[in-house]
Amino acid sequence: MRKTFTVAVREFISTVMTKAFLLVFLMPIIVGGIAALAIPLLMNAASPKVSGHVAIIDQSGSVGNRLEKAFTPEAMEARRGKIKKDAAAEIEKRAPGMGVGSQIEKAPLPKAPELTLQLLGADASVDAAKAEILKAVGKEKDAGGTNPRLALAVIPASAVKGEEGKPNSFKDYELFVAPKLDPEVQSDIRGQVSQAIVDARIEASGLDVERVRALTRQNRVEATAITKEGEKKSNPALQFLLPGSFLFLMWISVFTAGQYLLSSTIEEKSNRVMEVLLSAVSPMELMVGKIIGQMAVASLVLAVYAGAGLVTLVALSLKHLIDPMQIVYLCVYFVIGFALVACMMAAVGSAVSDVREAQSLLTPVMLVLMVPMMLWMPILRNPNSLFAQIVSFVPPISPFVMVLRLSGSEKVPTWQIPATIVVGLIGVVVFAWAAAKIFRIGVLMYGKPPNFTTLIKWIRMA
Amino acid sequence: MGDAISIRNLNKSFGPKKAVRDISLSIREGSLCGLIGPNGAGKTTTIRMIMSIIFPDSGEVNVLGKASAVESKDRIGYLPEERGTYRKWKVGVFLNYIGRLKGVDAAGLDQKVKQWLVKVGLQDVYKKKCEELSKGMQQKVQFIASVLHEPDLIILDEPFSGLDPVNRVLLRTLINEQHQKGRTIIFSTHAMYEAEQLCDHLLMIHDGQKVLDLSMQELYRKYDPKTLIVEPADAGEQERVLGSLRHLSGVDSARLTGETIELKLHEGTDASSVIAAAASACRVRRMELKRASVEEIFIEIVKGSGGSGEELEELRASLAQARLDTGEARDSA
Repeated sequence: MRKTFTVAVREFISTVMTKAFLLVFLMPIIVGGIAALAIPLLMNAASPKVSGHVAIIDQSGSVGNRLEKAFTPEAMEARRGKIKKDAAAEIEKRAPGMGVGSQIEKAPLPKAPELTLQLLGADASVDAAKAEILKAVGKEKDAGGTNPRLALAVIPASAVKGEEGKPNSFKDYELFVAPKLDPEVQSDIRGQVSQAIVDARIEASGLDVERVRALTRQNRVEATAITKEGEKKSNPALQFLLPGSFLFLMWISVFTAGQYLLSSTIEEKSNRVMEVLLSAVSPMELMVGKIIGQMAVASLVLAVYAGAGLVTLVALSLKHLIDPMQIVYLCVYFVIGFALVACMMAAVGSAVSDVREAQSLLTPVMLVLMVPMMLWMPILRNPNSLFAQIVSFVPPISPFVMVLRLSGSEKVPTWQIPATIVVGLIGVVVFAWAAAKIFRIGVLMYGKPPNFTTLIKWIRMA
Repeated sequence: MGDAISIRNLNKSFGPKKAVRDISLSIREGSLCGLIGPNGAGKTTTIRMIMSIIFPDSGEVNVLGKASAVESKDRIGYLPEERGTYRKWKVGVFLNYIGRLKGVDAAGLDQKVKQWLVKVGLQDVYKKKCEELSKGMQQKVQFIASVLHEPDLIILDEPFSGLDPVNRVLLRTLINEQHQKGRTIIFSTHAMYEAEQLCDHLLMIHDGQKVLDLSMQELYRKYDPKTLIVEPADAGEQERVLGSLRHLSGVDSARLTGETIELKLHEGTDASSVIAAAASACRVRRMELKRASVEEIFIEIVKGSGGSGEELEELRASLAQARLDTGEARDSA
């Protein structure tokens, strides 16, 4: 027992006291810094200033004047303002109370494109007009008054009036653009031209444009769930984000420490220090000590990240989103999940002589570890589906799935919590037993790396 | 005194290869025992089974009165053949760790580590990383790791390999010192003269089987010197002297090699009477009763057990190589 403890302490210290481990602490700061500083910068940099004109060949005669109104600087600015406001409102609706929406509303708009409209005659040559675009290539971002042609829309007469004899069949307009034209600008042009054509059609049919627009508008509404506890607005973003971050927290800490365990075992083997150790401790003491040491490492990682997350939530006065019981469950399932993964890592590490050899044996372990990530969406959609309930009882993914389900919106049947914990603990015992067998044989085995069948054989050996 | 180790009918196979075949042996407490045999004879496998690092297919092991070395790990010091250190760790940290694992009290452990480092001439490496040490230095550190906890039984697998002559002498001194303190020591080597110089008991393993198990005295009694070397004082007289010596009673044969004459003595002849007769037969510059070396004994044994000529040649070559490997340190004995 004392020796196991000595191994655990040593394992913890030699993992944590490395420069590489500092990254664990720096990561949240780096990621946070990038999110806070770099993203707005990148967003501004992503939309360079666009300056030039859009040419229109309007063969219908009723679209051009509408477009002229749409491309005045005031109209364009108003549109951009509305897009921002809508986006902010949408985010506020999906993730209320986080202050993200108001942040977006406050953020300055990137520089507006300087677009003007040029109406060419209805009988202007399309080819000549297209050639003009080619001349502008490379000058899309040029601010100096060359006023290059960035786009050309050709609107045929039948786009408004319908084809001869078939009043309900309208021809499409054609749009030509300079290469590398900002997609946002393109989509704005497309939207305005479409709108102008539709308006022209309505008017040509003798109807009131405003009236038809009002008649065809219906906003998207959020569903209200009726539950025994009362009515509540469903909150799709949080419903996915919170369990997601719980799963991610657990996954990253288990995985980080699991990797450390793997590499330290391989190191002891390839350094040939294993036999020295085994003359002092039994393989079981060594393995358990290493697992406990790395569990301490994983707990540290978890504490750092979860702590950073909690601080953020408190700072945004959102801590009501988390039920303290969820944190207790996270801890319990974390211990079980880590023990299961660590047993697999120790077994793989003991069986091979270097990191490259570990890859082939690690693939199945990694696949198993990826399963909870892939199940994220389906389980959250329906946390109490038969499928979700079944995988909750399958180690080693059961603890990950339970963390997802417990932090989700639907209540997990109470009996399943102790039941999955018991199943998880039984899993730990079985995994540790199998891993100890592999470990005992593997640690002194050099040469050809064993395959999966060999490992099974080792487990079945007395 | 009782036995520190006793083994009965030990067998171990790796796949089709029988590494150890029906070995039984016992090692008295306080003895300094050499386990010799050429490469691949089964020495390391035997030692690993004694250490319970691998388990025999059949047979019994008893170490320090316990059925398994696991139960008395803290009383055993072990220097494995596959020895390593944590490359990135500092020497002091490594030794403290191993000491703690071996059950040494934390209080005073660090002091002990430092004393040992001074003793082997490595006082400056305490704060150095293990990877910065030369192979020989690392080996001395590993030796410290195996004796730090003052074990009753010390098992050293090929302790001399890779050491230069100076350090080989140092290690021999350290082993002797442990022996003086009454500890039981077993060491294996494929360089047989190393065992000859150091131990008081010899175990020989060949092809997974024990072929010799004798104290050094018994060994020399059994393999009595049977060669007398005579170097005549007068140059040019060898032919004549050879003729007269050949007919001395108790001499089986005589042959000339360069300046000296080698007399093979008859089994059971009293060597001193031949020496007296030879001294009176000619003027002698040098006369020497040549003891059979362990190597020769070993070859003899293999020959006796029906080893083929080819096998013997191979054996001679590997022994010569072993002597080369360790730098022929006969003179420093």
